[in-house]
Amino acid sequence: MSHDLSAFRAEVRAWCADNIPPDWRRAQTGASPEEFVAFQRWWFDRLHAAGYAVPHWPVRWGGSGMTAAEQMVLYAELAAHDAPRLVLAFVGIHHAAATLLAAGTEEQRRRHLPAILAGELWCQGFSEPEAGSDLAALRTTARREGEHYIVNGQKLWASGAKYADWCLLLARTDPNAPKRHGISYFLLDMHSPGVQVRPIRNAVGDEHFCEIFLDDVAVPAANLVGAEHRGWQVAQATLGAERGLTMLELAERLNAGFGRLTAAAPLDDPVVADRLAGFAAELAGLRSLCRKLVEDTDAGRAGPADASVVKLFYSELLQRITDFATEIAGPAAHAELAKPASSGWESGAWLLDFIGSWEWTIPGGASEIQRTIIAERGLGMPREPAVP
Amino acid sequence: MTGPAEIHDELRAVAADLLAKNRAPDWPVLAAAGWTGLEIPEALGGAGVTFAETAVVCEEMGRAATASAFLGGAVLAVGALAAAPAGTVRDELLAGIAAGTTRAAVVCDGLALRDGRLYGRAEFVPDAPGADVLLVLAGDGVVVAEGLRVDPRQVLDETRRLADVSADGAAVQHHWPIADPQRVRDRAAVALAADSVGIGAAMLDATVGYTAMRHQFGRPIGSFQAVKHACADMFVRLQVARRLVADAAAAIAAHAPDAPLRAAMAKSYAGTAGVDIAGKAMQLHGGIGYTWESGIHAYLKRAALNRTLFGSPQQHRRRIARHRAATDSELG
Repeated sequence: MSHDLSAFRAEVRAWCADNIPPDWRRAQTGASPEEFVAFQRWWFDRLHAAGYAVPHWPVRWGGSGMTAAEQMVLYAELAAHDAPRLVLAFVGIHHAAATLLAAGTEEQRRRHLPAILAGELWCQGFSEPEAGSDLAALRTTARREGEHYIVNGQKLWASGAKYADWCLLLARTDPNAPKRHGISYFLLDMHSPGVQVRPIRNAVGDEHFCEIFLDDVAVPAANLVGAEHRGWQVAQATLGAERGLTMLELAERLNAGFGRLTAAAPLDDPVVADRLAGFAAELAGLRSLCRKLVEDTDAGRAGPADASVVKLFYSELLQRITDFATEIAGPAAHAELAKPASSGWESGAWLLDFIGSWEWTIPGGASEIQRTIIAERGLGMPREPAVP
Repeated sequence: MTGPAEIHDELRAVAADLLAKNRAPDWPVLAAAGWTGLEIPEALGGAGVTFAETAVVCEEMGRAATASAFLGGAVLAVGALAAAPAGTVRDELLAGIAAGTTRAAVVCDGLALRDGRLYGRAEFVPDAPGADVLLVLAGDGVVVAEGLRVDPRQVLDETRRLADVSADGAAVQHHWPIADPQRVRDRAAVALAADSVGIGAAMLDATVGYTAMRHQFGRPIGSFQAVKHACADMFVRLQVARRLVADAAAAIAAHAPDAPLRAAMAKSYAGTAGVDIAGKAMQLHGGIGYTWESGIHAYLKRAALNRTLFGSPQQHRRRIARHRAATDSELG
């Protein structure tokens, strides 16, 4: 197996050398939205032609059916060679595909999986203005009318919604059921009448987060995923499915970015060297945790809070590293006015990266929510008394 | 299928059971359990396994705050002797260690060879008091000499036995060259890091258990977010430390080139984490945690000693920084 893996590593390295545009960072710094989208589509096609865009998908759906070990090698090499990241396709190839493969109908898979490979983009419509950390409090409604559901409400923090063709939507189908038992999971065509998208400018100045307004939007009943009123359970089951590998990719990226940081840092300053050495150890721990999570998920023995441990540790380590990088970069970090589009969360425009790190400690279950999950599900500590 | 993970789980369970019943197992008890000979070849009466298994025992000893001579007599002594060339004296020492009839200790730093004699003073040598034989790292090898002076050195941690060892022209009886003396120190560093992981696990378990029982304001204190989140942070640190120790132990077992770097990472991170977790456990146990009777102080003292022996976190981070500067390479 290790021989096969080293052959595969060599193959990926050779591919990287031939296919990663050497000047992409410069070209993508300050790129217009159109240039960014075009570059993302071009890069997706290029990766997919090599079998590297959806390595985790089953072969029957156009994936490469790679083992977890092969995917680890792939992500490590792409990161080490500073490949552009797949940003726009992310929700489609990970969350949408995982949901369809785990809970979708054959018909839904046939409609959507090939289309994702052909370039259809997805976003996630979960959070709402009054349903952030308390996601199950969501108020968007879906009312059955004949062969359709009529959807009304508002979604928030939908990354990439302005480019998305489809949306993973959670909406309340039974307003009288307890919070988590009246929600259904839908595939929403973003081109439907009544869908309106408004980008929100975020703290680093870009606009990938969007609001989605849903005004009497008709969703075919065939676009229901799983059973009616069981959407919360579908979301719980599918969100975790990709956590291991997506976190592993991010950890490899952070490690590569840290390499660029140390290469430029004043290591002759013992205080700087000490801090960086501490981060190096923590990064090694993070990467090892991610590999373990992938292996344990594969073997069906991951603990109930293992993904939360990784998400929390990654988010806060990213924040601490980018903070320190900003500190040692001095005023120069403040004059980096744009980071390269398609780069990671550790692009090297350190102040923008530092500010952007809150995009990890807040969304996807804020750090405080992760700590509660770890304590209650991982350690079995007593739950909060129920709110009346 | 029985993989390394299953073997470790079994060893862990057996060790936890024995150490829960016997807080201070003497040397023959450790030998009877098969732990002193874990890494000694089967031909000499050992089990012929690797440092990864030794690290499992170390973790369990940390969890139970075991008072034993395992660090000096097995981790260090077997590491030093295994590096020496095979021969009658060396082999007899190893066989004695496996059988439990010989208890050795290793002096890693402080003594030096001059004109075939040993001079100098080494402080805080683990398990030197009462050792049958002292092995000294000196002159790029392992030295056995006559007439070393051992002065026990009492420390606040009552679970470890340390001594200062001095030599003033001690005559060398044996001198075996070894290729990599640093490896012996790295083994000790990772053993202590594993011990600290065990301490952290014990302290987290105790805290989760206590805060579920202890009621204030009409509810278990473990239901308060301030307490829960502190425990979640302890758990995250413990999990990271556990990975770094497992990777370092595997690297040492495999004689991997990055073993010194992995050891420095494990020792610096786990050494600090052990103290922080034990300290937080004392805090979350409240007034009870500060009593002598609760025993948390014993874990805190042991964690603090683990942190300092065989290199402080800051010293190990300096090794990491030097390594990165020298190689400028990424860890695979």
